Amino acid sequence: MQYPHTKAVRLSLLVLLICAAFAVVGGVTAQSSGEKVLTTGINQVGGDPETLDPNLAQASQELAVIQEMFPGLTVQDTATGDLKPGIASSWDVSADGKTYTYHLIQNIPWVHWNSQTNQVEQVKDSSGNPKYVTASDLVYSWQRVLDPKTASPYAYVPADFVVGGDDVENGKADPSTLAVKAVDDWTFQVTAPDAVSFIPNIDGLWPTDPVPQDAIEQYGDQWTEPGNMESYGPFVLSDWQHDASITLVKNPFWPGITTVPQPKLDKIVYTLLDPAGQFANFQAGTLDASAVPVEQIDAIKADATLSKEYYVGTSPCTYYVGFNVTQPVVSDVHLRRAISFAVDRQSIVDNVTKGGQVPAQWFARPGLLAAPTLDSNPDLGIKYDPDQAKSELTLALKDLGYSSAADVPAITLAYNDSSGHAAIMAAIQQQVKDTLGLNLQLSAREPTTYFSSLENGGSPQMWRAGWCQDYPDADDFDRVVFRSDSTQNNALFKSADFDKLVDQARAETDTAKRQALYAQAEDILVNQQAAIIPIYWYTTLELTKSNIERTYSVTGQEEYATWDIGS
Amino acid sequence: MAAFVVRRFLWMFLILFVLSIIVFALMHAVPGGPFDQEKPLPPATKAIMMEKYHLNEPVVNQYFDYIGDILLPRVTYGRVVPDSAFDYLINIPLPAAFGDQATIRWVNFGPTYKSRSLSVNDIFRQNLPVSFQLGVAALAVALAIGLPLGIIAALHRNTIYDYTGMGVAIFGVSVPVIILGPVLQYLVGVQWKLLPVTGWGDFEDMILPAFALGFAQSALIARLTRASLLQVMNEDFIRTARAKGLSERVVVLGHALKNSLIPVVTVLGPLFAALVTGTFVVEVIFGIPGMGRYFVTSVTGRDYPMIMATILLFAAFLVFMNIVVDIVYAWLDPRIRYD
Repeated sequence: MQYPHTKAVRLSLLVLLICAAFAVVGGVTAQSSGEKVLTTGINQVGGDPETLDPNLAQASQELAVIQEMFPGLTVQDTATGDLKPGIASSWDVSADGKTYTYHLIQNIPWVHWNSQTNQVEQVKDSSGNPKYVTASDLVYSWQRVLDPKTASPYAYVPADFVVGGDDVENGKADPSTLAVKAVDDWTFQVTAPDAVSFIPNIDGLWPTDPVPQDAIEQYGDQWTEPGNMESYGPFVLSDWQHDASITLVKNPFWPGITTVPQPKLDKIVYTLLDPAGQFANFQAGTLDASAVPVEQIDAIKADATLSKEYYVGTSPCTYYVGFNVTQPVVSDVHLRRAISFAVDRQSIVDNVTKGGQVPAQWFARPGLLAAPTLDSNPDLGIKYDPDQAKSELTLALKDLGYSSAADVPAITLAYNDSSGHAAIMAAIQQQVKDTLGLNLQLSAREPTTYFSSLENGGSPQMWRAGWCQDYPDADDFDRVVFRSDSTQNNALFKSADFDKLVDQARAETDTAKRQALYAQAEDILVNQQAAIIPIYWYTTLELTKSNIERTYSVTGQEEYATWDIGS
Repeated sequence: MAAFVVRRFLWMFLILFVLSIIVFALMHAVPGGPFDQEKPLPPATKAIMMEKYHLNEPVVNQYFDYIGDILLPRVTYGRVVPDSAFDYLINIPLPAAFGDQATIRWVNFGPTYKSRSLSVNDIFRQNLPVSFQLGVAALAVALAIGLPLGIIAALHRNTIYDYTGMGVAIFGVSVPVIILGPVLQYLVGVQWKLLPVTGWGDFEDMILPAFALGFAQSALIARLTRASLLQVMNEDFIRTARAKGLSERVVVLGHALKNSLIPVVTVLGPLFAALVTGTFVVEVIFGIPGMGRYFVTSVTGRDYPMIMATILLFAAFLVFMNIVVDIVYAWLDPRIRYD
């Protein structure tokens, strides 16, 4: 062997050189162009959204992007939460209230991104004519979403609102038997099994947005990739770096409607980052809008600049702790009420979550259509009341045959493990101990194991959960989750009175009357029966740079078509 | 030597095969499934999702389907519509005589339940090169810092150089990347604005994560190098080298260092396998689209094909690197021979 050491020396020198190169290179290249580019984040620890296919989407991160490309028949005004026309300019209802006929805006073209020309182009049919969004695209979408072959996790929502929906979803009938019809190119008709006043809300949801049959048949699972994807809304998918970023560009062919105008932004770049990463970029100036890491809230509020860029919006979700009303001790209604009265929601919101959440008195979040509001029902539901908690405890101990609270065996409170939930659960445990002397045993569980354990009546004595809207109506909370026969009813709460009220409210068309019915139902659920402990109504926390001219959404989803970037 | 390598490779496939059975059985035994989520799906919908991925079939059948899709080639005809459940790594078009667009397709790791458009193979194609680059860069950082530190510390034992070097090493081992990452990000990215805070694509994106990842490993390498070099410096052949009148530089770099690298190489093998297959924490902190996150999210999400893929990938790298390490031993130390 000839001087092998010289090789080793050379190798180490090379390694050192590489290291030096690392040290020398630096400096961020600032991007500047005439384009208005909004850089924002999507909260992702797990990487990509699962899909950008409207028929398959279910998570809010996916919907944030999808709604910019596929506005619905009807849309929820992000500023007020009210229902507004979307790509249907108007609609009629049949006399029996079951058949809705939508009149589509004519000549909204299908577009796609051409990566060769770097431009948004109209989609042409085989004879070279532009393709427009027509009623048959809607028929196709309804049939596709409910077809079990599509395996849409969200099909169950539209399934309840179209004749034949359940049979098609369960494979008992062909998708062509659905009661959806293209009367002509610009007239779409759908018939529901029941006359329900909020049908236009359902029909405007993303799972049944028009989708492009030709692109789906040609590209299969990859039709949602840039270039393949055909859409029609204010923005078009131009780039998707999986697990890293999604870029949408302005669609110049979008005609603009009142709630979704022609965009002022040229481009939106979503970076897939957890809130801490977004916040770091926001501080470095590389993101215009960012989510807020919980641990930074105090620092942000204390900072002169950041506090002005900080915004607390509402989010249509409720955080709660459920009981399993069939389990030992918590089967006693007085004990459940005692525990619920002992939870100081304001203190949790002020000292633990800190994100401006609203202490919840009931389940269906105010702001949903027909949900009771705090203005009209300030004392509805349940609130922190240590005195009442103690008197309920006395009754409970008598029922259960214990002489003191210390004799009651520890009650299990299970939750899906995360630092945020752990802090809230510990606060509840402490408050119940301090007020009542009852012991709660916290049980942190691996999330997937935890969620699967809640089903089929297997929920522990107490369990945490959150519920967010599918559609903006109290029906989606009270009836969908807690009706006696609901598969989501992990409290195993059964009340004929409650069922009657939510059924009545569903069929009623007058919103004020519906609100009153839901108020009564809520009173049974959270107060009289105390099947769940509502903790707080969610907020979304955002930071936006001061040069961003933005609207503020109450729906939990931003409409970027209304945003602009100032100087 | 050749026989040794061939034998080891055959063992590698046997190990992977046995491992695949164990992991498949274990992951299906864990409670919860891919469609258990905070917002529960109605039972009918869940059943449809289970059926789509054949999760309603007996686990044994699922295993044979899975392993069959990887090992057995198949032939397709006509245009194939992209389907994330049927995505093959190897696609060989056949001459027209075999039929319309006949293609041999081989090695399908299946769909991932957490993406409706991508397959496990897509994620390999897109994310593995990213993790590989980051891993190699981190290893370069680890060696560039660790080796010189260890050598200097050993040659100047019990001096200020030794204490400083080993102090740095202990700091590196003690500060986890979950702390070092955000601190670097804050100082270099946010405060001084020298480097991008997050992202991937340019060389400068690589610097902070490679340093964060490599620094802790450099500490390990420094300590190993120091200890090993100290031992080797007491060996007879070093005395011989000095007696021949060789300069101290040649004695250390030419004779001692190579021999002292054996323990370092021993850890470098597995370390390389761990680094190039991705690191969850660094990827999440720095927003890097690598493989590392899938090692964690596949398990929490019960994404069965992805669990299998990540574990088999890591195992394959690990076994392969151990073979490489064994070969390098023979080069480093003439006393080691494989016959």
